[in-house]
Amino acid sequence: MNLLSLLLPPGDKKIFLCWLLLLGASLAVLWSVTEPILGPYEDLDPVVAKTVFYRQVVWVFLGFGGLLAASRVQLRYLESIAIPLFLFSLVLLALILVAGPRIGGAQRWLLIGPIRFQPSELGKIATILMLATTLGKASEQGARLSVMVGSFLLTLVPMTLVLREPDLGTSLVFFAIWVGMVFWYGIPGILLVGAGSAGVCGIISFYSDSIIHQPWPWAAYIVVLVVVLYLVRLSTLARISILLLNTLTGVGIPFFWSKLKPYQQERILTFFDPGRDAFGSGYQAIQSKVAIGSGGLFGTHYLHGTQKGLAFLPERQTDFIFSVIGEELGFVGAVILLALYLAILLQGIQIGSRARRPFSRFLAVGIVSYFLFHVVVNVGITTGLLPVTGLPLPLMSYGGSNLMTSSILLGLLMNISSRTFDD
Amino acid sequence: MTGGRELDVRGRILRLVAISFFLVLVINLFIMQVPMHSHYKDQALENRQERFRVRAPRGRITDRFGTILADNKYIADITLPRSTMTGAGQDSTLVRLIRWFELDSEKTMSRLRRQFQKSRGRLVLVPNATIGQISTVAERARQLPGARIESRSRRRYLAGPLTAHLIGYVGEVDPADLDTSALGMGYRLGDIIGKQGIESTFEERLRGRNGMKLEEVNAQGHIVGRHTVWVQEVEPGQDVALTISLPLQQAMADALGPRPGCGVAISTRTGEVLAAYSYPSFDPNLLTVSITAEQWNALVTDPAKPFFHRAVQATYPPGSLYKPVTSLAALGLGVVDTTTFLEPCLGGWEFGDRYFRCWNHAGHGEVNHMDAMVYSCDTYYYQLGLSMDIDQLGAAARALGLGERCSSVFPEESAGLIPGTAWYDRRFGKGRWTRGVLLNNAIGQGEILTTPLQMALLAARLASFGEVPAPRFVKDPAEPVRLPEPLPFSRAHVSWVREAMYQVVARGTGKAAAVDSIRVAGKTGTAQNSHGEDHAWFMCFAPVARPEVAMAVIVENAGHGSSEAAPVAGRWLDTYFGQSEDTVNLIRSDEDVAGEGRRP
Repeated sequence: MNLLSLLLPPGDKKIFLCWLLLLGASLAVLWSVTEPILGPYEDLDPVVAKTVFYRQVVWVFLGFGGLLAASRVQLRYLESIAIPLFLFSLVLLALILVAGPRIGGAQRWLLIGPIRFQPSELGKIATILMLATTLGKASEQGARLSVMVGSFLLTLVPMTLVLREPDLGTSLVFFAIWVGMVFWYGIPGILLVGAGSAGVCGIISFYSDSIIHQPWPWAAYIVVLVVVLYLVRLSTLARISILLLNTLTGVGIPFFWSKLKPYQQERILTFFDPGRDAFGSGYQAIQSKVAIGSGGLFGTHYLHGTQKGLAFLPERQTDFIFSVIGEELGFVGAVILLALYLAILLQGIQIGSRARRPFSRFLAVGIVSYFLFHVVVNVGITTGLLPVTGLPLPLMSYGGSNLMTSSILLGLLMNISSRTFDD
Repeated sequence: MTGGRELDVRGRILRLVAISFFLVLVINLFIMQVPMHSHYKDQALENRQERFRVRAPRGRITDRFGTILADNKYIADITLPRSTMTGAGQDSTLVRLIRWFELDSEKTMSRLRRQFQKSRGRLVLVPNATIGQISTVAERARQLPGARIESRSRRRYLAGPLTAHLIGYVGEVDPADLDTSALGMGYRLGDIIGKQGIESTFEERLRGRNGMKLEEVNAQGHIVGRHTVWVQEVEPGQDVALTISLPLQQAMADALGPRPGCGVAISTRTGEVLAAYSYPSFDPNLLTVSITAEQWNALVTDPAKPFFHRAVQATYPPGSLYKPVTSLAALGLGVVDTTTFLEPCLGGWEFGDRYFRCWNHAGHGEVNHMDAMVYSCDTYYYQLGLSMDIDQLGAAARALGLGERCSSVFPEESAGLIPGTAWYDRRFGKGRWTRGVLLNNAIGQGEILTTPLQMALLAARLASFGEVPAPRFVKDPAEPVRLPEPLPFSRAHVSWVREAMYQVVARGTGKAAAVDSIRVAGKTGTAQNSHGEDHAWFMCFAPVARPEVAMAVIVENAGHGSSEAAPVAGRWLDTYFGQSEDTVNLIRSDEDVAGEGRRP
């Protein structure tokens, strides 16, 4: 084995190529973000320091190490340490809530020397591994409701801890991972109907309670639901379960709402009406849309984005990095970027479908769910389709913890693929 | 265990879900970046371009020699963007500035809140900032996003009360006027507009045109663009030169002293007003800063009426200053000649059942026309009045410029009143008044009213044989010289009146106006009025042989013209003729130029 083959991770080369291209794009955009704006401007210092770029270069090398390691690790070994790792991550998550430093009003970080580390990132990997282990083992006896509920309860623990940091976006990542993996486990149609109706019910309940402050839309929905359940041929148990689920959601949503932090409530309300706070949380959404929209088909060209350069675009090196791409590289650049992500997802689904061992299948689907949620929600936020909540764009946003997590997860996907095809 | 077929189905569903989500993202991106691109591009441009209105510097006002009487003092305000008050929580820039400048936090906040509600522009944190405050903001701009130093100008009146009535003052546009659009175009709330005097009359010329520029700013509101796009260039206001001379204006104030009254001097060749001072006056500089309601009320309700522009706005009975008019009318009608003796003055004249007194109760005895003028014998003039009818006397007065406004500069200028038959019929009813009014009219009493400017013009007309153009307050080449109608009197009669007026100063009631080595012709007056003591009047011109200046002085409620008003004229003429050669040459030479251009 020569040095080059040692440095080249085994497995799916398409995924590795996407990883390389995305990180190349990330560094290019971070360079642009930390450059002074070009054009008829005085020599403006960029508001984001150049060190952001150089730090990320270091993280790219570390991330490559993570990817390499993950692509070569024994999957059986991972399966065996999944539960201890999960418990360890829960301890860390609990620890930062008790003793973590408070930065910007939130306790999300663990300080190890000069490095800031987010335990929630470890939590994502650990939760995927843990769910893959449990669901993989359970899947050999066919789908059971108790497994679904049990796995949800397991996921609920890190979800709740992350929500307390507080970090709504990341806590929803855990939920998305669970949904994807449980779907793979096999959800009966009736449960999907129940969950779907509960989702609709939740939105209507929220609308009644928090937007118009009148109960009648939700009441009307329940009446309609009762009529539909009476007409449709279903077992009595199913009818009662669905009705109960809907009622619980309808009551639970206002309760959950009241438990949200004011800034979270504000963000969600602002999503429904961005003009509500044009200088506060609505500002980010408006400015991001302006930046992307002003990019047009081919963009304002690399380094020339004015919304980025003149600092109208907030968080442009982290959560809103996609807006910079939309502005400077335009529709074409943005679609190429999305295509890279879609390629990873489709490749991941194929790997999951073809994997021989159940653990590997569930692991692959968990990773796909992670990327699907992160990319769709982040791009949805920057384009104004979703309310603003802090969520990085994997491999693109500045930040070491997320880069490391994403690289490790892609390494695992490559690991699975190498074994599938080797067998 | 789930079967392979089922897994394939789930894989397909998952693929479908992923592709659908991405399709939604791409479609949404397409809508934003292609059909709606121009909308967002405009918004991006709007984001970084801020419109700045640049006020045009107002034109200066100078005296005839270019001495500046009104100019603009530039002051700087420290301003904050409106978002300071709309953002969530306290604005860091505001907090810093309050701490660094040691401002009262609560008072400042409530002041800014009021501004926010009242105006639509940026908020002024520190008006008229000190050099220290300005340099703090300039040096630490990075720590103070949004803060900006904006300069504006304040009107400054260098001669203060001395020229207040002529120049007037400026103030902020009245919001009520903006709504009714009674003003010209382009005024906005907070703009400066002339409120009185020359500032108001010459508003269009002084004002210039405000500019509008687009500057590129960053999110913190700092100007970053190297290029400035001028949507509308600034056109500075034009200067306006007055005809008055500041030293002569000062001399008039000194000569009059702090007594309610007025002195007006005009060039007998060009009609240019050389000095026009009214007392009491006010300091216009007080009105350009934020004057308090109490200060304003004190000025407006002051019984001395400091805003009253006596030179053109006040009307008084002319008293004996009217006697040359009566003489010219009588000479023109041929009822007397220059040497005629009438019935002797025994201290008054009986008409009907009334006895009209001469001011000299002892009587002047037998006097001819000349002595009647020189000693101002009322009895003689009663008889002259009775020798004509009221409209004949009025016509003579009108021919000399009385009874009408003599300038268009001041809207507050009064026309005075020269009553005639029609007026008396209207006032008392037809046939319900007698020729008795002629006795009063003949000595400038009764219903006749004139302004000090009209009296100065009367003296100038007599001095120039009626050739003096209409009075001018502004040296404006564009303004046509308004030449008067030729006088309907014979030149000999006017010469005789001039001689009589010279005798008044040489040996009669006007001795106090005499000046060394200069021959002065004048006429005293003592105007009775129903409100109190008599007003002391004097009008004159000099030098007699080749007149160059004419003036009128009134001192309200001071008593006799000979003792109270004539000395004022004497003092002013002393200064006028005692000026340094340079100044006199300047005045005389440009008068000569104007004079030559005027003569056919």
